Amino acid sequence: MPPRDGRGALIHPDLLDRPERRIDGDDKTTGAARYTADLVVPRVLEAGFVRSPYPHARIVSIDAERARALDGVRTVLTGADVRGQRLGRRLQDWPVLCWDRVLFIGDRVAAVAADTREIAEEAVRLISVEYEELPALLDVEEALRGDAPVLHPDAASYRFLEGRGERPPVPHPNHQGHVAESHGDVDAAFARAARIFEHEFTTPRIHQAALEPRAAIVWLEGDRVRVVSTNKAPFNLRDQMAATLGLAKERVVVDNGTIGGDFGGKGLSTDEFVLYHLAKATGRPVRAITRYSDELTTTNPRHSSRIRLRTGVDADGRILAHESHALFDGGAYAAGKPTVRLLVEGGVSTLEGYRVPAARHEAATVYTNNVPGGHMRAPGQPQNVFASESHLDLIARELGIAPLEMRRRNIARAGDLTTTGEPWHGPDLGALLDRAADEIRAEKARPAGHGIGFAVGVRHVGRGSTTISLRLGPDGTVEARTGVGDQGGGQHTLIQRIVAATLEIDPAKVRVRRLSTEGPQDPGIGGSRVTPVHGGAALAAARALKDKLGVRSVAEAARALAADEALEASATFDATAVDHGACAHAIEVAVDAETGAVRVLSAVLAVDVGQVINPVGLRGQLEGGFVYGLGMALTEDLALEDGRVRAANLGDYKLPTIADVPPLRIVHLSDGHGVGPYGARSAGELVNPGVPAAVANAVQDASGARVHTLPITAERVWRVLRAP
Amino acid sequence: MRPFDYLEPETLDEALVRLADDPDDAVVMAGGTSLVILMKQDLIRPARVIGLRRIGELRAIGTPEGNLSLGALATHGALARSQPVRAHAAALASTFAAVATVRIREQATLGGNLAHADPAQDPPVTLLALDGVAVARSRFGERRIPLDALFADLFETSLEPGEILLRVELPPLPAGARATYQKFLPRTLDDYATVSVAAVVATDASGVCTHARIALGGAGPVPLRAREAERSLVGHRLEDAAIRGAAALAAAATDPIADLRGSAAYKRAMAGVWTERALREVA
Repeated sequence: MPPRDGRGALIHPDLLDRPERRIDGDDKTTGAARYTADLVVPRVLEAGFVRSPYPHARIVSIDAERARALDGVRTVLTGADVRGQRLGRRLQDWPVLCWDRVLFIGDRVAAVAADTREIAEEAVRLISVEYEELPALLDVEEALRGDAPVLHPDAASYRFLEGRGERPPVPHPNHQGHVAESHGDVDAAFARAARIFEHEFTTPRIHQAALEPRAAIVWLEGDRVRVVSTNKAPFNLRDQMAATLGLAKERVVVDNGTIGGDFGGKGLSTDEFVLYHLAKATGRPVRAITRYSDELTTTNPRHSSRIRLRTGVDADGRILAHESHALFDGGAYAAGKPTVRLLVEGGVSTLEGYRVPAARHEAATVYTNNVPGGHMRAPGQPQNVFASESHLDLIARELGIAPLEMRRRNIARAGDLTTTGEPWHGPDLGALLDRAADEIRAEKARPAGHGIGFAVGVRHVGRGSTTISLRLGPDGTVEARTGVGDQGGGQHTLIQRIVAATLEIDPAKVRVRRLSTEGPQDPGIGGSRVTPVHGGAALAAARALKDKLGVRSVAEAARALAADEALEASATFDATAVDHGACAHAIEVAVDAETGAVRVLSAVLAVDVGQVINPVGLRGQLEGGFVYGLGMALTEDLALEDGRVRAANLGDYKLPTIADVPPLRIVHLSDGHGVGPYGARSAGELVNPGVPAAVANAVQDASGARVHTLPITAERVWRVLRAP
Repeated sequence: MRPFDYLEPETLDEALVRLADDPDDAVVMAGGTSLVILMKQDLIRPARVIGLRRIGELRAIGTPEGNLSLGALATHGALARSQPVRAHAAALASTFAAVATVRIREQATLGGNLAHADPAQDPPVTLLALDGVAVARSRFGERRIPLDALFADLFETSLEPGEILLRVELPPLPAGARATYQKFLPRTLDDYATVSVAAVVATDASGVCTHARIALGGAGPVPLRAREAERSLVGHRLEDAAIRGAAALAAAATDPIADLRGSAAYKRAMAGVWTERALREVA
């Protein structure tokens, strides 16, 4: 079947087969790129924050006199100065500065603006806060007891942004979000099952670990509030600031520059709100550049999880009924979650990608006195896939069925009912699984201590609406204007190539210009959105411009323009189609039985991402996603001890280095039916969720040790191997 | 980081005088790779930092009087590449080559490493097994400190205020001695060792062990020698039972600290496993 994009373009242009030259590549490799912290701002002041040392405490008093008296300190604000103001992406529950209680270690109680960073830090040390410690809720199940203290007694008064303007009801006051949903007659299906299996899995908090820490600068200019920030969704930040600070949206202008990685974490901004107050109090620009230790300890990491799964199968191992209970530690505030249900949505529907005739899912995010959870590359999904795919392997082994065969029997084929109750209409998962098995040579005899593991990952293609406008000038170049930034994912190059391919011109003739929030509304980066949404808008705008060209080529039309003339076209595109990308993982490991150490020997990704737009960028997303998942599988653990993050630097919080990465083979299989431009699908969040599960399954295959908790440390494997 | 005064003396004598001026509030900086982190984290707050980098004589590596002498300012990279170091024990060169990353190795020095007294560090372990002796000097004279007396506790040495570490001396090894350094890295390859083991043995013509040194890193608050394990080997052939017995004694000699790299029980068990592996390597 010829590739098509679902909107009428039958054949993709040849340009898309050629490797791209990244728009941001030269500046980043030469060091010319300017990140927020690099900006030279005349008269800028540096902010510093006083943070709570307790997971839960009442603020008795704050003495800032010595800080105020310090030379170079321009202002000191405490919670009392901003009482009642709370921030957040959807539910605004996080105080700009705490005024009565602190709810986690790192919560802010005061802010300083000073001439230098050193003075700001000294001033912070000079502020003394008297606290009265309160009992801390550090465990999700403890927080859901009937008699647990309620961490947000005034939750009903919190602002809930957009949507229905109302937070969905929850069964316990310490729930952030809660859902119970089902399809089919689950109890009857369980009753028919030949065998029923139940397992529990846990995963820790892990951090997005973008190379660039957060930074922000805020100043006032006339009646405008100017913001430069590392936030990846500037319009959302504008709306959040306007709501929290009581300003008209038009008064807040967010104009972000180069962003050094995001991985979901930079959807939440916390400093910008208090920077506004500091700028207002001093009449000067004020900036905050987050230290990496503060990144690790006080920003919004991936939620830790406890997931219990129960599945009924027939005598041949075919899934009849499935049930999940997932608890996610949301920490002190739900502010980091942009979703309407305040859940990490990828964690709700366990056993995705398989045929599940009847299922019941209960999932909740829970308030505790831990660091607030947020969004990170496929939020909720890696926890879900680790649990689901481990569970599937355990069932297969109990039944005496090879894990690969178990998957073949249960994989969702076109039209099969999946765990969400929707029929599967996506990539050919069976073909991906078969190809991954072939590539890893699943049937080959392996030495003792070696083993292979499989996992399947599916990820929705994002939705949303944006506007892109094009302007053809007399010099024959086209300027594409968009409100979306490029945090390293290649978003601007994607827009450039789709416009160039559609207009049949050299990509070098297309410039991409990012507009501030004074331009048309844009949803920003996230949710596997940019390829379908911005790519779709770029395609629609390019087609609109092409219509205006008539029979002329771009060059001919440009020559006809007067020096001050331009030919313009614009398109607002709303991507609504439902689609999924898919990936089958096969991973080979060696386990050292004496030490429990796991070495990943090789890995295969068989992926369907539809038509490729940026071949080099795609490879980066897939390889990067694999390494991202490898860290979650083996080393990353933002563990807490009495509410305090133990790994407060990147020496302790271990990310894989390039030397830890095994040979990786990527195989593309596409049915060409993606709903994105030219048949593309999303890729950014596709690969990382399946890696921990595939590693866990390979570890059991190699050693017999089943580890139910991430990361799969050598000690955990060793303990399982030594258990009686 | 808090403000501080920075001095860079031209000579060792000048550095010693400057240090003696203010022995409690001044610190000595060699490569700075550990010190600067501690200062940034506000864990130490020196009023004065005395940089040693202009004192070239402290960089020397050589065998002036039979002993191999390693200057305190020699970098890990220089030591890993040094012909005299390789000639003494290839395992020592590879120990320095196994530390951190190339950027750190070209900046971090031997003296800084020893003075930092981090029990997870690599070089102290191999240097202990090679019977290293530290030489330190103050305004009042020089003294020799066997390495197992240098490490007093976690991040604490027996150096006195006012003393600067000058070099480490290693006596010649018995003829035919074999040495190895084994570093257990179950997390990432740039991590500190979960445990590490250096073993040095020599045997006579009939295969009977005449010299044995076993040192362990990450196995207690300081790098430590497993003396009972060493004694159990001397006079015996390095066969299975002897090796296993020594490994068990080495594990029993440990006093590990539970941290992000593992529990105390796990580290103790791993000390046994890696001692056994190290001994098989040199047997």
